[in-house]
Amino acid sequence: MDRRPGRPPANVRTLARSGSLYFILAGCSILFLAPVVWMISASLQDQQGVFATPYAWIPEAPRWDNYATVTTMFPFWRYVGNTLIITISVTVGTLLSCSLVAYGFARLRFPGRNLLFALCLSTMMLPGQVTMIPLYVMFARVGWVDTFLPLIVPSLFGTPFYIFLLRQFFLTIPREFDEAALLDGAGHLRIYWSIVLPLARPALATVALFTFVGAWNDFFGPLIYINSPENATLTLGLNMLKAQIAGTGVVEWQVLMAGALLVMLPNVVVFLLAQRHFVKGLAIGGLRG
Amino acid sequence: MRWRTPQRWLVPGLCLLLMGCDGREMEVERTVDISYNCAANAAEIRALEEEIPSFTARTGIRIVLNPFTGQEKLYAMIAADQAPDIFYTNTIIRDRFAAEGRILNLQEVARSDSFLLRLLPGIVEEGSAADGGWYSLSNWSYTCGIYYDRDAFRAAGLPLPDTAWTWREMRRAARKLTRDMNGDGTPDRYGIYIPSHFVEALEVMNGAQVGRGALCVSIPDASADVYGKYIALMEDGLMPDLRRMQALGMQPMQMLQNGRVAMLVEAVPHQGLFEMKGVDLGIAPLPRFGNRPPRYFRSGSGGLSISSSTDHPREAWEALKWIVGSASIFQPNPVLADRDFVAGWEQRYPHLAETGFREVWELSLLHNGGDARFFVRFSSWTAPAVLERLQPKLDQLWSRQITVADLREAVPQMNHNVGRALHDALGQENLLPAFRTVINRQLEEFTRGACD
Repeated sequence: MDRRPGRPPANVRTLARSGSLYFILAGCSILFLAPVVWMISASLQDQQGVFATPYAWIPEAPRWDNYATVTTMFPFWRYVGNTLIITISVTVGTLLSCSLVAYGFARLRFPGRNLLFALCLSTMMLPGQVTMIPLYVMFARVGWVDTFLPLIVPSLFGTPFYIFLLRQFFLTIPREFDEAALLDGAGHLRIYWSIVLPLARPALATVALFTFVGAWNDFFGPLIYINSPENATLTLGLNMLKAQIAGTGVVEWQVLMAGALLVMLPNVVVFLLAQRHFVKGLAIGGLRG
Repeated sequence: MRWRTPQRWLVPGLCLLLMGCDGREMEVERTVDISYNCAANAAEIRALEEEIPSFTARTGIRIVLNPFTGQEKLYAMIAADQAPDIFYTNTIIRDRFAAEGRILNLQEVARSDSFLLRLLPGIVEEGSAADGGWYSLSNWSYTCGIYYDRDAFRAAGLPLPDTAWTWREMRRAARKLTRDMNGDGTPDRYGIYIPSHFVEALEVMNGAQVGRGALCVSIPDASADVYGKYIALMEDGLMPDLRRMQALGMQPMQMLQNGRVAMLVEAVPHQGLFEMKGVDLGIAPLPRFGNRPPRYFRSGSGGLSISSSTDHPREAWEALKWIVGSASIFQPNPVLADRDFVAGWEQRYPHLAETGFREVWELSLLHNGGDARFFVRFSSWTAPAVLERLQPKLDQLWSRQITVADLREAVPQMNHNVGRALHDALGQENLLPAFRTVINRQLEEFTRGACD
């Protein structure tokens, strides 16, 4: 292949291009990772070390006991259990409800379908703050406050964004599969369960991941609906580590950071497990209209 | 069927016994639940949970803790008619809730209670709203002072501050304590750090008079003078620039702990600073301004209120008294006059006896300048309208984007919204008549040019 005089060879150009790309990406990664690295480092410091200047990123004598301490400062394992119950229920509920609704929008033909879909999407425009008090009043009337129900039950009624994501994905699955199943005598529920869901694993993984992370990290929902310490979640537990007496107590940041790191771990594990499906699901769901 | 004699008596006897257990008897001994929405950390919750059973055994009142607090949560609970029996209110919220009849006037439940005699003078007034009713019992009280590193003073050859030291002496000390070890032009240790929310304490000390419930912003000469002095500390490199403080992301306490400042203005008492290790701590009162009589900052820092939707107002009051007067997490409590608050804290932190804590505390009782901070500086209804304009201007002033003269020029503009805020307040349907009268009067004052 000809190349213009003075111009570096193609492989050099490619190398330079990828080099600079990696350089930018590495820079961005450092930028995004720095707070996490600080969190890890702070979780191993003593009280003075957290805000020492100059800051020792690798503490001389790492305080591993901060991790043990955090589990004794509030009923850690009980809160892990509470959080798991809520998170797993919400994830399963969201997957079932959203996929079912999305199947309806993607596969069934009925009058007003597009209008209903638009209506469903339009609820995304409603900020949570607007619905917070009416929802609370509603749940209070049925006696659900200070239980896990207000945190779990709404997930059984679908989430517009996930319905949209799944519907887009379902549209990419050839209808011929459904038609073949119909000829074999399958009903819509059978098609949904045995054909569409197995083929939609990447999209379902994406929804599951988002939901899991959202429910696990949720602070505001439990804050509003949970009253008793024994029903609290991990995020509320972490919040309880902040000193309160007239706002002048001692916040043990190193313990708080150790707690935050422990709370973060399941998210990382779930993300790593679902990463492959997640990226694929997001790409397909987002591209196909 | 013919009953034999024993059966004739046994069956009705059993029935009577059962009737005796039908709940009427139980009702007398039943405990009353009082829910308490308390801001507390895990250790404090544990301590409260350990103490509540003995209070319940004594009084038949069980305090049910709800340690998850937040304004949104409280509003949602109130909207659902599930307000906690006892909850925290700051001054602005307290007046609004009082005006809407959402919290009880404590005068009605605490009438002739001897507990009132145990409170420091002024505590009831701190919890009073515009109608003169008493709506919250302060659960804490504090003043502010200058925490300093005594070793740094000794090393710089400076005498330790006395109780009558002046701004000039403080500034001179700050200059000597400021050190630039590596000569890069940025001090490694600043002489002093005064968080901006304590500037008003200095204004009061300098003689600025701000009436309780004042409707609008006013920047008297005494305030302007303090603003100038405060900015000069930054310009002269004796105090870290506030923008730099934001970038460092440190709490003021950590600045002192890490040796980044030698003096720090903070709340007194301050548990975190009392527990700080590695610094030979001293506490001095705020400096005086020339010959002006001292007026030290004191604040009740909000308080605990009783919901008007409670089914048990008497029991809620008993619980409230116990929380403030006996619960260990609030003891020794600075709102109680019958206990030596300082001695109690010195018992907990023995090193305090040497710090000057007692002197600072007693000076604040002797020369109580009150609390001129934002949340009581303006009427409860006009404060948000005023603050949304004042706060950005103050931020601009501290970062030297505008001058004190610019700030004063902007005052009429800041007060512009006051009338509208009062009109809006009157538009509330559920306003109690006493408050409606007060707001009407304030609106008249505004119309007559009270803010001009």
